Amino acid sequence: MAELAKTSEAVHRDYTGAKIGMWLFLFTEILLFGGLFLVYAVYRTKHQADFHTAAAELSVAIGAANTMILLTSSLTMALAIAAIRRSAKTASIVFQSLTILFAVIFLVNKYFEWGAKIGHGLYPNSPELLAQSHGTILFYGLYYVMTGLHALHVLIGIGLLLTMLILTVRDRITNTDFVKLENSGLYWHLVDIVWIYLFPLLYLIT
Amino acid sequence: MVTGWPTLWNTVDNVFLFIIAISLVLLLGITATMIYFVVRYSRKRNPHAENIEGNTMLEIVWTIIPTILVLAIFYAGWKGFLYMRTVPDDAMPVKVSARMWSWSFEYENGRKSGTLKVPAGRPVKLIITSEDVLHGLFIPAFRVKEDAVPGMETYLWFLPHEPGSYDLFCTEYCGVGHSAMITKVEVMPEKAFAAWYEVKQPQKRSEGTSKHAPTAQKEKNYGVGARLAQVKGCLLCHSLDGTAKVGPTFKGIAGRKTVVVTSGKDREIIVDEVYLVRSLLEPQADVVKGFPPIMPSQKGILSDAEIKTIIEYLKSLK
Amino acid sequence: METNFYTYSGKHRGILAWILSTDHKRIGLLYLSSMFTFFLAGATLGILMRLELIAPGPTIMTAQTYNAVFTLHGVIMIFLFIIPGIPAALGNFMLPLQIGARDVAFPRLNLLSWWFFITGGLIALTSLFTGGGPPDTGWTFYVPYSIRTGTNVSLALFGVFLLGLSSTLTGLNFVTTIHRMRAPGMTWFRLPLFQWSLYATGWVQLLATPILGITLLLVIIERFFGVGFFDPAKGGDPLLFEHLFWIYSHPAVYIMILPAMGAVSEIIPAFARRTIFGYKAIAYSSLAIALVGYLVWGHHMFTSGMSDASRVVFSLLTFLVAIPSGVKVFNWVASLYRGSIQTDAPMLFTLGFIFLFSIGGLTGLINGALSVNIHIHGTHFIVAHFHYTMFGGTAFAFFAALHYWFPKMFGRMYREGLARVAWFIIFIGFNTLYFPMFVLGWQGMPRRYYDYLPQFQTGNIISTIGSWILVSGLLLMLFNLVRSISKGEKVGDNPWGATTLEWKTSSPPPHNNFAEIPTVTTGPYVFK
Ligand code: HEA
Ligand code: HEA
Ligand code: HEC
Ligand code: CUA
Ligand SMILES: [Cu+2]
Repeated sequence: MAELAKTSEAVHRDYTGAKIGMWLFLFTEILLFGGLFLVYAVYRTKHQADFHTAAAELSVAIGAANTMILLTSSLTMALAIAAIRRSAKTASIVFQSLTILFAVIFLVNKYFEWGAKIGHGLYPNSPELLAQSHGTILFYGLYYVMTGLHALHVLIGIGLLLTMLILTVRDRITNTDFVKLENSGLYWHLVDIVWIYLFPLLYLIT
Repeated sequence: MVTGWPTLWNTVDNVFLFIIAISLVLLLGITATMIYFVVRYSRKRNPHAENIEGNTMLEIVWTIIPTILVLAIFYAGWKGFLYMRTVPDDAMPVKVSARMWSWSFEYENGRKSGTLKVPAGRPVKLIITSEDVLHGLFIPAFRVKEDAVPGMETYLWFLPHEPGSYDLFCTEYCGVGHSAMITKVEVMPEKAFAAWYEVKQPQKRSEGTSKHAPTAQKEKNYGVGARLAQVKGCLLCHSLDGTAKVGPTFKGIAGRKTVVVTSGKDREIIVDEVYLVRSLLEPQADVVKGFPPIMPSQKGILSDAEIKTIIEYLKSLK
Repeated sequence: METNFYTYSGKHRGILAWILSTDHKRIGLLYLSSMFTFFLAGATLGILMRLELIAPGPTIMTAQTYNAVFTLHGVIMIFLFIIPGIPAALGNFMLPLQIGARDVAFPRLNLLSWWFFITGGLIALTSLFTGGGPPDTGWTFYVPYSIRTGTNVSLALFGVFLLGLSSTLTGLNFVTTIHRMRAPGMTWFRLPLFQWSLYATGWVQLLATPILGITLLLVIIERFFGVGFFDPAKGGDPLLFEHLFWIYSHPAVYIMILPAMGAVSEIIPAFARRTIFGYKAIAYSSLAIALVGYLVWGHHMFTSGMSDASRVVFSLLTFLVAIPSGVKVFNWVASLYRGSIQTDAPMLFTLGFIFLFSIGGLTGLINGALSVNIHIHGTHFIVAHFHYTMFGGTAFAFFAALHYWFPKMFGRMYREGLARVAWFIIFIGFNTLYFPMFVLGWQGMPRRYYDYLPQFQTGNIISTIGSWILVSGLLLMLFNLVRSISKGEKVGDNPWGATTLEWKTSSPPPHNNFAEIPTVTTGPYVFK
């Protein structure tokens, strides 16, 4: 109870509170994607064969490359936090910048991947797609919506990390006050984990 | 009130009465106790309260008893439901197709009707689907209901006892015509039904009629296009006499000047064939100013030939 | 003497001192006033619907207008009034006070939630006047109709999406606050029951609302890009939408009722001058309702074409969720036993709540019985059920809580006599308005019907008359409350002699809530 007394006096420096808040938020994010996974599961069971052939059309190479990129970025993110704990400000800045760089590369890859598909006339409501079977239409619908929503999260993540970078440069994030960076890291890992699920679901299970 | 409710549907009514009885006992018990306590232990009568923290025995009692009650209710409801979902082998199948905002019933021999005609005393199985959005088929007198879902077949069955005429409603919201999407179940004596059923159907009385069906006499004067406009529900929203209903009137439509809103901008156009086709297939592309954009698209609902016929008909309306 | 939070001067002046304040009390009042404005708009729409239904055939509006009116009535009442009602308005005000904290865990996030709320509300209202006209889908937004109609559905959906976001963030804030910021000595089983209910509600908000969020987003995407998830012509499945929608919207009814139950559990001990009966049973039943409530959504789809086996399972689960509600009702009644009861307005509303909620809940059992549901689904029976639970339940408890905490929030008292008269008129009007709908529904009158057959007229007339009685009562109540904010008699810090922490500080409370954070040594309802 003594600890509680301290925390309610010092409202704004409750690290555990901030972490609980972040974890709860990540929960809601998982559920947001969870809704999509549910849609995926339902349509996959209904259209086994179509999903099978449609998934084969996606480039496993680009997908795998992006997976590697995101995994690496998660690593650099963790290193950035470890660095700030050691008061290694410069190292942390470098690792944070690397994370952002990887995120951007991920999006560039995604851009080309989408671009190629759209170039083939495969996008929602395109005449080409509508001519295909129901399962294929749904698969591509899911492909665009799921990776689209994920890409949106990557974008938000980039914004978040840039903010953290600025805060670190200005010494607002230090080895005694780094919960913001830690929480951004948690968010970034979530973005990574969601992709870890998307990759097999869309690219691998054919 | 609907009269002559067949007694067989006690599966619903009895369960209902059973729950009502339980509920009334609980409700009256709770209310009476509450009022008694409020009066008996009012501050005047009882200035000093006694703090009673709780009683485990009581908590157990009022958890167990409701549990037993609700399980009993569940069982009763389930039993009735099983009965409702088990179609007798000799049931007469009728295909039902719902569309905005009319019903169409098709019998085994291909005969179609806008009212549901069934023989008394024989179970009927309805196989239901929808051409556009969700609808719900509800016959209060027989205590049955099932949604009509596009791309899917659902079913229900009932046993019409007494000859008579019963209401059939749409209970799943489906747009402006929702409350007008009603028709009748005609339960006919066996013989009368057989006579109706066997008659060679004149082609033009083929499909769904709604509440607003014109008389047979009027119908004779219309061409095929007129019949289509009727059957496909256009006349629910469009008048032929110049008055504006939900949509603009059909009277003098061809060649008239109209202001339409195209992606947010007003423009004046002259109604021609291209525009008419677009109005039918993509009604939301050009929306006539002053009207809500609620006309249902006929894409996939009218065949090309039918569209042609309707447009010819529209052009003939001076 | 410290100044109270009204006179406290912070960074900003004038209106900005409110809409930019991170003080949970000011945010609570912001919610209260905005929510009441929305409620009046929704209620006016309700009255208009009743007028239209006074006779068969067109009366005062067209069919299309009617459809828009019930859609907006539903959206406003659900997302702008009843869901934020008790938790966001009263909860915000009372939560830190009741646990002896200075504020919520994330004050700025709290303000952000209100901004999402007001923006979402305004966007939903904007959809009325722009684009293709007001949305006409019903508050359930069922596909494929909602992706076909040309009305302004996307904008309304986006508004609701923001409202959902606001609700999620509030839940997140409350759960964290209750975990981290209780005063010294306030163990879990010394929490006031209102806090238990907010805690359970917070979890439901967190776990259910994101599903609504993604579902609404999918409909918007569907409307703009034609992805095909919900369009049968492209292989989409309308039933999937119904599932996703109710996975949120059934738990949402417990978001509505749990805080109401919590408020009632505060008022009863205060007016019976004795401790609550079965504290732990009430606390645990909140959690049980939240938990089981997550698993029963399918009972809205008994006639949807879902498989028979699922219908049976959902029916069974539906009945299980009724048991903890019963436990609460029984404990409330038992809490009156050997009390020393005073029937002031808050208590009258509370007693009304128990009676009306029991009717609403027991008719819920009728809805949940499979064979009976087949007959009454989609009829006015359902309309009666949910007005009894939402209005007779939540809104009555809300009114009770409003009267109860009025002196806390404003330091003044309303006129007791007037409040009792208003209560009586509301109670009579309410039953006259909604009870006939049970009968109409059983007779087969479908809901969302602009026009009806002549055999349904008697019930509809009675119902419409009831709506006028209800209006007069509500207006009287509002008049009394609004007037008393500035003109009411000043009362002391604790006019009811209640025992929870919020009454231990001055009324209205100072900016920092407590001069010194109290140390808790007993349970919440210990009367000497
Ligand atoms: C505050 C909101 C609220 C609450 C609390 C409830 C509570 C319950 N509701 Fe309700 N419901 C709605 C709001 C609510 N509902 C809404 C808005 C709709 C319609 C949505 C739409 O279609 O637009 C709806 C629709 C709805 C349906 C679907 C009907 C249909 O469309 O076909 C069903 C079906 O099972 C149902 C059941 C229940 C049950 C079993 C409870 C239970 O939780 C009730 C538990 C309470 C009690 C049982 C009473 C108290 C207990 C006792 C007095 C003693 C104990 C007794 C026993 C257990 C025997 N509700
Ligand atoms: C908390 C929720 C809530 C509340 C409080 C109400 C309150 C009312 N509702 Fe409710 N209603 C719903 C939630 C609610 N409703 C929902 C979710 C639906 C389903 C929608 C759908 O199908 O999609 C519905 C549907 C619904 C229908 C069914 C429509 C149909 O299916 O055809 C009807 C019909 O009578 C109705 C009537 C009313 C009336 C008369 C009130 C009255 O009680 C209102 C009383 C309040 C007042 C009278 C306030 C007094 C103030 C004024 C009059 C304001 C004066 C003006 C100013 C000062 C600006 N409602
Ligand atoms: C929901 C009611 C409704 C139904 C049913 C309906 N329409 Fe319409 N229709 C409208 C409305 C409203 C408009 C005006 C808004 C618009 O242009 O979309 C309209 C516009 C039109 C127009 C353009 C009129 C003009 O003045 O430029 C044509 C042509 C038309 N409809 C034909 C039909 C045909 C043919 C059918 C039946 C197959 C039909 N409509 C069914 C509501 C309906
Ligand atoms: Cu068809 Cu409602
Ligand atoms: Cu429910």
